[in-house]
Amino acid sequence: MSELRVIVVGGGLAGLAAAVRIAEAGLPVDLFSVVPVKRSHSVCAQGGINACNEVARQQGYSEYEHFDETIYGGDFLADQHPVLEMANWAPRIIDLLDRMGVPFNRTSEGYRDLRLFGGSLFKRTHFAGATTGQQLIYALDEQVRRYESEGKVTKYEFWEFLAPVLCDGRCVGIVAQDMRTMQTRAFRADAVVMATGGCGLVFGKSTNSIICNGAAAARCFRAGAHYGNPEMIQVHPTAIPGADKLRLMSESARGEGGRVWVPRRRGDTRAPRDIAEADRFYFLEEKYPAYGNIVPRDIATREIFDICVNQGMGVSGENQVYLDLTHKDPDYLTRKLGGILEIYEKFVGEDPRYTPMKIFPAVHYSMGGLWTTYTPGSYAPAAPRTKHKSGSAPPLNAAIGQGMQPGALNNAMTNIQGLYAFGEVSFAYHGANRLGANALLSCIFDGLFCGSSVVNYVRSEGVSARPASGMQPGAFDAAAEGQVKAGAALLATATDAPGDKATNPYVIGKELGDEMTAACTVVRTEARLKQCLVKLAELKDRYAKVQLSDGAGWSNQAFGYARAVGDMLAIAEAIAKGAEVRKESRGAHYRTDFPDRNDAEFTKTTLASYDATSGAASISLVPIDASLIVPTARTYGKKDTEKPEAKAQPAGAV
Amino acid sequence: MTTTDHAARAAARRSAKPGRKVLIRVKRCEGPGKPSRFETFAVTIERGANIISCLQQIAANPVTVEGTRTTPVVWDSGCLEEVCGACTMIINGKVRQSCSCLIDEYAPAEGDVITLEPMSKFPVVRDLWVDRSRMFHNLKRLRAWVPIDGTYSLGAGPRESPDAQEARYKLSTCMTCGCCLDACPQFLLAESPASWDTSFVGAQAFGQALLFNSHSTGAQLKNDRLEVLMGPGGVVDCGNAQNCVKVCPKEIPLTEAIASLGRAVTIRGFTRFFTS
Amino acid sequence: MTTAHTQSHQGPLDRNYFLLRRLHSLTGVVPIGVFLLFHLTTNASVVWGMLDSREGEALRERGVRTFQNEVDFIHSTPFLFLVEIFGLWLPIAFHSILGLYYAKTGKGNTASYGWAANRRYSLQRLSGYVGVLFLFYHVATLRWHWTFLMPGGVAWDGERAASTLALVLRGASEAALEAGASYTLGGVIVSLFYMLGVSLLVYHFANGLWTAAITWGLTISQKAQQRWGVVCAGLGVALMALAWSSLLGFMTLDPKDAAAIERSHSGHKGPAMQLGDSQH
Repeated sequence: MSELRVIVVGGGLAGLAAAVRIAEAGLPVDLFSVVPVKRSHSVCAQGGINACNEVARQQGYSEYEHFDETIYGGDFLADQHPVLEMANWAPRIIDLLDRMGVPFNRTSEGYRDLRLFGGSLFKRTHFAGATTGQQLIYALDEQVRRYESEGKVTKYEFWEFLAPVLCDGRCVGIVAQDMRTMQTRAFRADAVVMATGGCGLVFGKSTNSIICNGAAAARCFRAGAHYGNPEMIQVHPTAIPGADKLRLMSESARGEGGRVWVPRRRGDTRAPRDIAEADRFYFLEEKYPAYGNIVPRDIATREIFDICVNQGMGVSGENQVYLDLTHKDPDYLTRKLGGILEIYEKFVGEDPRYTPMKIFPAVHYSMGGLWTTYTPGSYAPAAPRTKHKSGSAPPLNAAIGQGMQPGALNNAMTNIQGLYAFGEVSFAYHGANRLGANALLSCIFDGLFCGSSVVNYVRSEGVSARPASGMQPGAFDAAAEGQVKAGAALLATATDAPGDKATNPYVIGKELGDEMTAACTVVRTEARLKQCLVKLAELKDRYAKVQLSDGAGWSNQAFGYARAVGDMLAIAEAIAKGAEVRKESRGAHYRTDFPDRNDAEFTKTTLASYDATSGAASISLVPIDASLIVPTARTYGKKDTEKPEAKAQPAGAV
Repeated sequence: MTTTDHAARAAARRSAKPGRKVLIRVKRCEGPGKPSRFETFAVTIERGANIISCLQQIAANPVTVEGTRTTPVVWDSGCLEEVCGACTMIINGKVRQSCSCLIDEYAPAEGDVITLEPMSKFPVVRDLWVDRSRMFHNLKRLRAWVPIDGTYSLGAGPRESPDAQEARYKLSTCMTCGCCLDACPQFLLAESPASWDTSFVGAQAFGQALLFNSHSTGAQLKNDRLEVLMGPGGVVDCGNAQNCVKVCPKEIPLTEAIASLGRAVTIRGFTRFFTS
Repeated sequence: MTTAHTQSHQGPLDRNYFLLRRLHSLTGVVPIGVFLLFHLTTNASVVWGMLDSREGEALRERGVRTFQNEVDFIHSTPFLFLVEIFGLWLPIAFHSILGLYYAKTGKGNTASYGWAANRRYSLQRLSGYVGVLFLFYHVATLRWHWTFLMPGGVAWDGERAASTLALVLRGASEAALEAGASYTLGGVIVSLFYMLGVSLLVYHFANGLWTAAITWGLTISQKAQQRWGVVCAGLGVALMALAWSSLLGFMTLDPKDAAAIERSHSGHKGPAMQLGDSQH
């Protein structure tokens, strides 16, 4: 009998990849997810997954260049060794996914097709139609189902993670709640992998799924796990505003000739096609005559934001600008952009071939997350190299273990022993800005590569000699009891009386989203951040008196949401404080009061830690591993992913 | 969607005015075995409103048109861009995703009513939330995976023509939403998991069986899958009502998949009879 | 978990599930469908027989004679009893019993989903139910002579095939024959039931042929299914024409005239049978 087991929390790409790798090694896995794993947010990824490949290699590309691009794209904030290992593994991961049956697009000869993507001059992005994330997660889901049918993986779907169980400084299990029966209980495990994704819901509406509230990460954070670079939030310039969420509109729309404009006159109520050319303000084309609508992503985001928020020139007085393709031949558009135009048509109900799209930037991805450690690999140059010259011979042969030591127990482990963080919930790899099509890669890489570390950790002498299954029940009972009590207290606030708006969890959640979007997204300033922290304090006070509108002890979603609002407030505070401390501009973090990158002071991780007594987050700066590449000025665009050269490349959706 | 549908929807959208109130009539049920009732809510429609945003509005202020305070409506949702399959429900009598259901098309005028009910072929958990585990169980039943030799690097997968890839990709976009099953007259509610192994599998799993039978490594389990499809609840039970293909939001060619499997089991039947 | 491994635990019905399903489908086409085709063709001879009308012979007369010849031909088949048992009654019983069982496993939903194929699905089951009922009535009254189910109490007589059939449809008694039998209310009901039953069975066959092609995997693409649908619809229309023409032919046939023709017809081959003296 194997008494050792592993808990994986989260059933997206990272969690599923981890479950497969760990189950394959012979350890039983308990897989927890708030939704059936196949419905995880990974399904929303569209564009593709990056990896060096034979065609690119013969043109001078290499795993090393992929590594270099990722560091450069992330504005030199990422710890460098893990990124190197990830880039080295990427081709193997593609091969594996291919064997799992992912329907990657094919060339006429039957090889995997490739597309260009931002941040590279080489075709290095593999894709499956316009739903690559969906196809990858399905492939992993199927492998997990295979292990599930063999009894090696046990799924707990619709179970919500509430807290890690800690004993002698070691994570030995979790407390979780079945959101159907509302039963709360502790589960034992010798290691816990958090793979719970991003926190878009903190910003109210984002491109994220409704489940991406960051609550699980916040609960680890509040239990003592450090949170790295919380302020690094990627905002995508073009999304479709919606009443419920903001759906991504791929930048390939601009690549194919889309023009961004607003009416010159504020409050112009005419239909867009009735507005004459002279009355239209093509602000990107006027301000950036060279690049026009194809300016890098961060610039486009900031300009659109400025037009709407600062100048109040948004279409119909709202936060939206036109993205116009109506001057193009409809058949051409269907051929080139069919998929994304259909999404727009489906959700807005207007045909973008004949009516300009209305778009606005939207929160898209969290580069920051739970802080993790690793053991560097064998590559240790005497001095960091300068930026790799594109297409030149790589200094390395992409062998396993050059970046991270394979199987080292602490790879992707948080500061809490036995508690790991994989995928978007981890702060690793993407630094201050994530390159398109690198997210899927980092999730699967974590699951597979660092999954082996989890296996080794669980089987290491210190752990296997004292398995969680043999421990006294005290710590587990106490942890579960604490959560049961907290839950009961929250449920007891339920009232039939007309609720006070100030303590309505949905109102608090909405105000939180509005505030965070206004203060902590595209443009940040000291004053606005301070104001944001005041607002957060007010929301925290109000949250302390939160009142539910549903007291049911069965499948109570209002309860689940209200509880998550408390966690979102904790993450929000870390984001705002991190943004305040980082007095520079880097990647996605843009401060008008500190518009330049400040390497001397801030090539460091902002490390947030939670003080349980005060309930507040504090920020410290810790040095990063920049031992492989010297930071240089990011010359393409200003602060974001795209090279100007990329303008000719119809980049797919991210 | 037919051209006339399309035109009618566009006309409805054009006539719809933001700020109007529409009525959302929701079938409520507090849990398994509990009686159900209808509650109606008045919702103010903002631009781009869909069923999700209406339910969110109701959650923040759960008061019926009669002025009675009630609980927020419980429903399942995820991506909100029709790719996860979670928010499927019955809207005005037909099954579909609620995220892609635009209020302007369904209720263009002041006071229009939209009726929401839970899916009819799966046990209700609460309100509009149903338990669709049977669909995932059926994927196990059909061994819907590629039996790879582990996750370590063993080189690339099999080569594949673009046509074959396209056919598999289409099948692989199935998000397990269950529209095809809810609309199928042959697929019935089965509360007890004990009966799942002999109950009708339905189009969703047929599509997946074909997907994996069409992959050269996945085909190693082809005969196992065909045996299930030849047994009780298999593809032989399909009654060809062909609603599945009509309600599939991803336009997966489910009826063609069913016919392909029909051919496969016919051949398998003869092979089994004469050879093995 | 269910996989191929659980096969050994299944009973013989489950083990032969596929075989039974396929036999159900097959029997619907051969022999039942083929029989239907012959049966309707034979019956319609009362109409198409008129095409063979000779100089000086009334159209009706030729039709009645042709029909009688067809019936005589069938009745002259060697081992007719065995052929009927194994070629017809057993397959029909098998197809009906399994069909009723299979139909019970579904639940129509045309109210929500009124698409054509879904209506056809429901109609296929409805036509099966009504068809079984109709066939039972048809056989019980015309072959088993359960005259209590017949408004006129008349028994169909293979030697006087047309006239007795016309009487049956009119719901008139033998006694009324010479008086010039007219329709009774019961006769109207029987005639309508025949029109309904035969139409549904023709539909059942044509639509069954269409779905069988999908079930067996003959038609796969949507286009192929459409093409085959046209063929099946064409066949259905042809069969419907045969069915309706024969029914209308008999319904408009005056039994008195028919009896006279039959008497002269049978005179060629031997003494006329007495009324009610059935061979069966």
